[in-house]
Amino acid sequence: MVKMMDIAEILTNDSPGDKFLLLGNEAIARGAIEAGLEFAATYPGTPSSEIGDSLYRVASKYKQLYFQYSTNEKVALEAAGAASIANTRAMAIMKHVGLNVASDAFMTLNYIGVRAGLVIVCADDPGCWSSQNEQDNRLYAMLGDTCMLEPADSQEAKDMTVAAFDLSEQLEQPVLVRVTTRVCHTRSEVELGSIRPQRAKPNFERNPFRFVTVPTVARLRHPILVEKFQRAKEISEKSKWNRIIGKGPVGVITSGVSYNYVIEALELLGQKATVLKLGMTNPLPKRKIQRFIASKEKVLVVEELKPYLELHVRAFAQEKGIKTTILGKSQKLFSEIGELNPRQIVEGIAKALKLKIPKGYAKIERQLSKVTTQAPPRPPILCAGCPHRATFYELAVATGRKGVYPIDIGCYTLAIQPPLDMADLLLCMGSSIGTACGLTAILDKPIVGTIGDSTFFHSGLSGLVNAVYNQHPVKIIVVDNMTTAMTGHQPHPGTGVTGMGKVNPPIKIEEVALGIGVPYVKVIDPLQVKESIRTIRDAVAFDGPAVIVSRSICALLELAQKRRAGEEIIPYKVDPEICRGCQVCTGKLGCAAAIWKGEHAAIDPVLCTGCGVCAQICPYKAIQREE
Amino acid sequence: MKTSNIIMVGVGGTGVLTAARILATAAILERHNVRMGEIHGMAQRGGAVVCTVRIGEKVRGPIIATGTADLLLSIEPVEALRHVDRISPQGTIVVGMYHIIPTAVLLGRAQYPSDEEILKNLRKFGKVVTVDVADIAEKAGNILTMNTALIGAATGLGRIPIPQDSIISALREVLPSRYHEVNIKAFELGMKAVTGT
Repeated sequence: MVKMMDIAEILTNDSPGDKFLLLGNEAIARGAIEAGLEFAATYPGTPSSEIGDSLYRVASKYKQLYFQYSTNEKVALEAAGAASIANTRAMAIMKHVGLNVASDAFMTLNYIGVRAGLVIVCADDPGCWSSQNEQDNRLYAMLGDTCMLEPADSQEAKDMTVAAFDLSEQLEQPVLVRVTTRVCHTRSEVELGSIRPQRAKPNFERNPFRFVTVPTVARLRHPILVEKFQRAKEISEKSKWNRIIGKGPVGVITSGVSYNYVIEALELLGQKATVLKLGMTNPLPKRKIQRFIASKEKVLVVEELKPYLELHVRAFAQEKGIKTTILGKSQKLFSEIGELNPRQIVEGIAKALKLKIPKGYAKIERQLSKVTTQAPPRPPILCAGCPHRATFYELAVATGRKGVYPIDIGCYTLAIQPPLDMADLLLCMGSSIGTACGLTAILDKPIVGTIGDSTFFHSGLSGLVNAVYNQHPVKIIVVDNMTTAMTGHQPHPGTGVTGMGKVNPPIKIEEVALGIGVPYVKVIDPLQVKESIRTIRDAVAFDGPAVIVSRSICALLELAQKRRAGEEIIPYKVDPEICRGCQVCTGKLGCAAAIWKGEHAAIDPVLCTGCGVCAQICPYKAIQREE
Repeated sequence: MKTSNIIMVGVGGTGVLTAARILATAAILERHNVRMGEIHGMAQRGGAVVCTVRIGEKVRGPIIATGTADLLLSIEPVEALRHVDRISPQGTIVVGMYHIIPTAVLLGRAQYPSDEEILKNLRKFGKVVTVDVADIAEKAGNILTMNTALIGAATGLGRIPIPQDSIISALREVLPSRYHEVNIKAFELGMKAVTGT
């Protein structure tokens, strides 16, 4: 029976067999709880965020579980790794680029291994829906000799998470569960299993010659890792996650979300084929793959991003002298760029097997290209009433756009869009400060970096210490909207709220900056336009490193709070008699609620949050609060 | 049953995801196999948003390929146009004529086409039904019910393979109770708008 319930209830529901419509991410959280999860740590990042958020919803009520939002992914993995070494089932959750941050800990954890199960969930983002790159993290599994499971849908996401804990405990090694955006953010039905009892009590058994990786120990541990990986290969040969579906002389090897598209494409093409669906994708089942290829006339490898499976499959075939034709990215049947979709797979398979493409894709596409030229672009933008917009407007006015503006990762990255157009350089979390240090050392102009509050705690601190230590005259504006907005409003050290729902003393960014020794530190309210511009000018003129904390709550959070409290939101309006159509509100500030009606500006009452920034910048005082 | 591919598009923040979730939940209540594709994070913020609801035994993945949607729903005409390649030549496009002007247009860097032009182009891809969702939502009592009104209209047209009662039950499951009444009203007015009863 399918039931509807709150996610917190679903995660701890102890009626195996119950079915729910779950996001892939929610299913992973449930799988971890079924496996007896006791410790979880994450830094939120799309597309992984809802895993942590689901655990956050239960952590304060579910005695068995400790959950934390860590300051970054490296800390999250270190914390989870240590918990596991102290005999506690643990999970660290992050997006793909988060594993870059955690990679230092990740690599050596593989050397020392774990005790209780340790699962690392990493969510890749093919297509860069919400990321600065689309790296293929399966290569991390190869790099670390780490076992990896790759689910294709929500049910598998749950089941493989349970299996990942088993595998981790069997080998005493961390196990990677690698998912992608379309697995994370697709809802499908999940049948629950039973929740396992807790493991024996946590304990830390001293063993410095395993856990303290001085070179002597590292040299000892590397062969042990290789030996365990060898055992993992045998496990992969027999793993139920590497299974064969269908019949036919043509073989398809695939994994993850691509499997779904392959099945749909074969159906659409009316093509019979044997599909080897790989769920355990590191180490790969070499002998199974060799037998599979040898028994087929032709084998297609279908996967997103890098030809990870394909390279292995070709090597396995070569090793055994198998002559079967292997087709994939080498023949350009599938792209290495972006996410795959069913259509690309239909076309790829059709091309490889010389089949007729049943759908008139090309015709529809030609037709589309004729009409979409008429559709004005609509990139994501800062929300109506977003305080970041005010900060960037003020920064543009205060510096006359004569500086260089390194930016960072969060909602405020959207300042790249016109009319703000205030973003010049971005690499990764925290890079606004590091890049600003480099630029101030060689350029003689204002360098103003902007970084969010959560990002500041994630990886802004070491950059700021560098700026003070080397006395780089960087100007850093911390756009503090008192939440981790982009990923779904998670708390962070500046809010004081923890993953257990406890409220600890918040860490104030201005105090941190002062503590580090930044000689100029000011706090502004970006919704007070004139004062903010004055302070920014002052900071830019200051001879030395300066930090401004631009603090105003996220507009979405404020709206939600007001709605919950039943408070009325009073929008602003434009007096068309006074408005002269100068377009400062629409063309310089560019608030989503400022629209154009005939000859004058207007405010969209649905979108307006009543922040009042447009009223302050209107040169003719044509904008007033609605009575 | 035959696979039913429904694509809901629009602008982030107008309730597209919630509306799609109502449909997916309704399909689950009817014991169908479902995949619902969602958009989260960066792409959500005021940008063009696409949600998919796929219903049927053979459905595996969330993506609706070019030319395979049975139904395209959008309260916003330009967004319908942007994703119109998804509609199957036998499909129906239900479009609410609520214009949300992109920043590029406000800045004079792009033009918002006329309704006439948009509808003419939409018709090249499938059958088009227009609904005055803003009017319905206002009558229901909350402008944010436009997507619910759109689902009502599509239900009225017989284009959603789920009984009306299950959609209303799903709506109660998905939305906080304080929004039930206004949304049910929008749904019913949406149905009425196309059936005339």
